[in-house]
Amino acid sequence: MADTKTGEFFPRPTGGSQIARRLNQMHGSAVGLAGALAVLAPGSVTPGRALAAAALMISGAAGDWHRARSRSAAEGATAAFVAGTEQLGRDVLPVWSAHIENARAQMEHAVAALALRFGGIVDRLDEALKASHPAAAQGGEGVFEVSTRELHAVLESLRTAMTSNRDLHAEVQSLGRFVDELLQMAAEVSSISAQTNMLAINAAIEAAHAGENGRGFGVLAQEVRKLSGLSGDTARRMADKVNVISAAIKAARQSAEQSTERGSAAAAAAESSISEVLGNFRSVTEELEASADVLTRESQGIQAEIVEALVQLQFQDRVSQRMTHVRHNIERLPELLRDTRHRYETERALQAVDTGVLLAELESSYAMADERATHKREGAAAAAAPAVEEVTFF
Amino acid sequence: MAKTIMIVDDSASLRQVVSIALRSAGYDVIEGCDGVDALRQLTGQKVHLIISDVNMPNMDGISLVKAVKQLPAYKFTPIVMLTTESQEAKKAAGQAAGAKAWMLKPFSPPQLLNVVQKLVLA
Repeated sequence: MADTKTGEFFPRPTGGSQIARRLNQMHGSAVGLAGALAVLAPGSVTPGRALAAAALMISGAAGDWHRARSRSAAEGATAAFVAGTEQLGRDVLPVWSAHIENARAQMEHAVAALALRFGGIVDRLDEALKASHPAAAQGGEGVFEVSTRELHAVLESLRTAMTSNRDLHAEVQSLGRFVDELLQMAAEVSSISAQTNMLAINAAIEAAHAGENGRGFGVLAQEVRKLSGLSGDTARRMADKVNVISAAIKAARQSAEQSTERGSAAAAAAESSISEVLGNFRSVTEELEASADVLTRESQGIQAEIVEALVQLQFQDRVSQRMTHVRHNIERLPELLRDTRHRYETERALQAVDTGVLLAELESSYAMADERATHKREGAAAAAAPAVEEVTFF
Repeated sequence: MAKTIMIVDDSASLRQVVSIALRSAGYDVIEGCDGVDALRQLTGQKVHLIISDVNMPNMDGISLVKAVKQLPAYKFTPIVMLTTESQEAKKAAGQAAGAKAWMLKPFSPPQLLNVVQKLVLA
């Protein structure tokens, strides 16, 4: 059995214990020799006594041999046990450690990839939100408002064109008044020409009555009559031209009137059509905006879920730290088991691994409060994921 | 011009989680896997805030804070410790080294963004 204080199975060899050990080893032979002497001492040596003494001596020697053999077997087994334990530390514990590290690395890799995916989802949601709200990209003005403004600008242009057309119509009508005046003037010129012709005829008659003395006056009257004829012709041509112009103005006025009517009708129809289109467009855009609002709310909801997932993903960092701390503690064990074997081989002393040292080293590596709680076996509360903590500003 | 934030953590998944939260808020993000890697990347570019883990291989977070505070270009750059480390002694060491805030994992993205906005705008 191991010494509870030193952990040694056997007392250390000293000078006194060496003698005791020797005596212990000689114990069987000594007892056998003493028995033989006791048998032979009382009297003469008879064959029977000699035989009994020999038997006692052989029995003692056999006992010694058996004890030495048992002791040798126990020491061999202890050495094998120590060596096996050291081999456990050398061969098995590194494998456990490698598995822990491999699991930790795989988890870290997977969670990093998962976080990357979440990041991609967040980016795509942002893009979708921007795309679903083009109004935001136009400085807050919606598609409907922009379209309405532009179409009303078109209508305003039409109204301006109609106003110009009416002004033109009024101008043409005012030209009609001038035409009438021109006709009146041509008629007056024609009348003056007729009266001048009549005067010239009378003057010629009077010149004929005057005879030779009136010949020169008769020539003059003849010339006045010719001029009267020319002015009459001019007056007629003027009247003809004015009539042509009048007809052209009348046609232009009728055309302008028809154009104005058609323009007014077209403008009214355009306004009605635009109002109808805008009405339809408004209902479509309202539906789109409602859909966009739903999309926005859903996207924001998904983003909130992702934010919560990002908080939960941090478990990997905590688990990774715990696994690393435990792995480092496991990696210390082979060294301690080597020390145990070395001490046994050099000093024949068996000393168990000091679990207190290992646990103290493990505890000193902790960073998290829940690690310390687990170490103290504080139960389910220690296993629960910690809540988001407050921030300390310095 | 988006602000640039560096996240330093030996856990790739945690770096991803922090990056997603920051990028979705419009920040540019640089990642470092430990203190040494972070110091190497800091040279030659402007970083407006550093978020660092505490327990890391090669160079831990507290040592990183001390080293960053020695760099003239980053002397006044705010540093947030984002860690599972709950020991008050470690927290005090972080404060003494020059960290501006101590956040415990797990964190929520809105909470992280709140801290970042406060320190980046300060």
